[in-house]
Amino acid sequence: MKISKQARRDAKELFRSCCVDGLLDENRARQAVQQVVQRKPRGYVAILSHFQRLVKLEVARRTAKVESAVALLESSQASVRANLNRLYGAGLSLTFAQNPALIGGMRVQVGSDVYDGSIWARLAALKESV
Amino acid sequence: MSTLLQDIENQIAGIKTSVGKQNVGIVREIGDGVAKIEGLTDAMLNEMLDFGHGVTGIALNLEETEVGAILLGEYTEIKEGQEVRTTGKLLQVPAGKGLLGRVVNALGEPVDGKGPVKAESAYPVEKIAPGIIKRRSVNQPVQTGIMAIDAMIPIGRGQRELIIGDRSTGKTTICVDTIINQARLNRMAEAAGDKEYRPLYCIYVAVAQKQSNIARVVNVLEEAGAMPYTIVVVAPASDSATNQYLAPFSGCAMGEWFMDNGMDALIIYDDLSKHATAYRQVSLVLKRPSGREAYPGDVFYLHSRLLERAARMNEKNGNGSLTALPIIETQLGDVSAYIPTNVISITDGQIYLETDLFYQGVRPAISVGLSVSRVGSAAQTKAMKQVAGRTKLELAQFRELAAFAQFGSDLDAQTQAKLERGKRIVEVFKQPPYSPFPLEVQVAALWAVQNAYFDDVPIAKVKDCQSKLTEYLASRKSSLMAKILKEKALNDALIAELKAVVAEFKQTYR
Repeated sequence: MKISKQARRDAKELFRSCCVDGLLDENRARQAVQQVVQRKPRGYVAILSHFQRLVKLEVARRTAKVESAVALLESSQASVRANLNRLYGAGLSLTFAQNPALIGGMRVQVGSDVYDGSIWARLAALKESV
Repeated sequence: MSTLLQDIENQIAGIKTSVGKQNVGIVREIGDGVAKIEGLTDAMLNEMLDFGHGVTGIALNLEETEVGAILLGEYTEIKEGQEVRTTGKLLQVPAGKGLLGRVVNALGEPVDGKGPVKAESAYPVEKIAPGIIKRRSVNQPVQTGIMAIDAMIPIGRGQRELIIGDRSTGKTTICVDTIINQARLNRMAEAAGDKEYRPLYCIYVAVAQKQSNIARVVNVLEEAGAMPYTIVVVAPASDSATNQYLAPFSGCAMGEWFMDNGMDALIIYDDLSKHATAYRQVSLVLKRPSGREAYPGDVFYLHSRLLERAARMNEKNGNGSLTALPIIETQLGDVSAYIPTNVISITDGQIYLETDLFYQGVRPAISVGLSVSRVGSAAQTKAMKQVAGRTKLELAQFRELAAFAQFGSDLDAQTQAKLERGKRIVEVFKQPPYSPFPLEVQVAALWAVQNAYFDDVPIAKVKDCQSKLTEYLASRKSSLMAKILKEKALNDALIAELKAVVAEFKQTYR
């Protein structure tokens, strides 16, 4: 769908109004979407789809996706949490997932930052370099 | 033995593998050599991006939620959803003397089948041009070997001289002639062991040309023995718009290496109209807003930042130089189109080639009235200045009178004489392709014309007389030629000798 410049601007404005202290407020975001759907302003579908994209990126920026080949112990999870909070500040939500394809090690992604210490990544790097 | 095992184990236990931070994004859209990538929040402008599979891209559009990148190389394996990483590096091409004699593509990879390039270093493709403090004014000549240019529109080292004209008016030929003449001069200086002479290395950048044309130019250069001093950078018509956009910048980076290392280089961009078209294509696919004739708003900046990199450095900064000869192809002689006016305003003068003159047999078809060199006269050799000083004025007067004389045949003797002289000057300036004249030959011929030695020769025989004079001077009076070349100025003794020699030749000439 073509999203006009005006729709982008409106979505950005809407997104800004949903932020409190630089962080996205979930309730406000839900309310804002409801209001837009009810009032149906000009080009509201485009506004909402761009808003959804901005929210998606913001959520990704505030979410740490921790993948490991085997399930992490409580203690390891706690140390990962502590380290990430130190790097990115409090308010980061963590999701832990198991991915056997990694073979070993861990891969952490926060927004577009990736810390990849998995064996799979090292093998891939080796393959590229050969 | 047991301690050895223990030691190794300790060593292994001591190894710490650190995991660095990487910035990644996901390909959202791909096609036409351009990718839209979501994420990559840390990407910088013109940074190289790693797409995997050995494919790299350059980040050109940094937007709020995505990055637009152009892709280099074969990109058909890249699919939507794949991961892309930043590399923190700018695009670089190999640079150095190892590239001389080679034909390379826009990324500096050899395409001539002569094995890998042995380059001394690598240079960034995009670089900020040297500032005023690092520069000095142009004061050394570039001998093109083309009499009309060396006499009337002289080019200096570090100058940017535009060559502009319609299709098939001899734009490339002028440049190839110049390369051949540099190779001749470089070889001569090498053979004579002349340490004073600064060799001029050439770079020929072919943008969006037919492969057959490029092959022909390379062949001409090889036959003339000019390849050992020349680098050819090619982005043929069949190449992607991305490579065509990058090729002039790559060639410039290779030239800058010579300049930064205290050497002189000459770069030819053949041609910048096609370069602008390739850039327009890339910009439109990147969905940048379009302006006049659908070119993006920064098409002027594209050419100005490229041509500003041509410079003459001062003694403190190595004394090197990079001379640029951009080519622009006009449509039906329209110099007031968008790209031609842009490049005319950027360069230090232009050589305008006219279709009409070309078909009248005036080749090179240089239009003297419209061609100008704004800085080169400071670099012209004294001998040339002495003999060619009045030529441009005389030719201009001739053109005016010739137009006037069409209306009537009753002309006074002085006007008749001016017309006759003008016709002879035009004849003397005619020159076959790929045969540049040495400086001393040009000086002798022009001196002979200026001093009325050609006035009694019928116009149809002027060219014959000139070639015979050249032959006579080269075979019998080589010492005089050597003296002119050495002195680079005509003093009274040399003029007297020249007078005697030309008079002697005229007695024998039939």
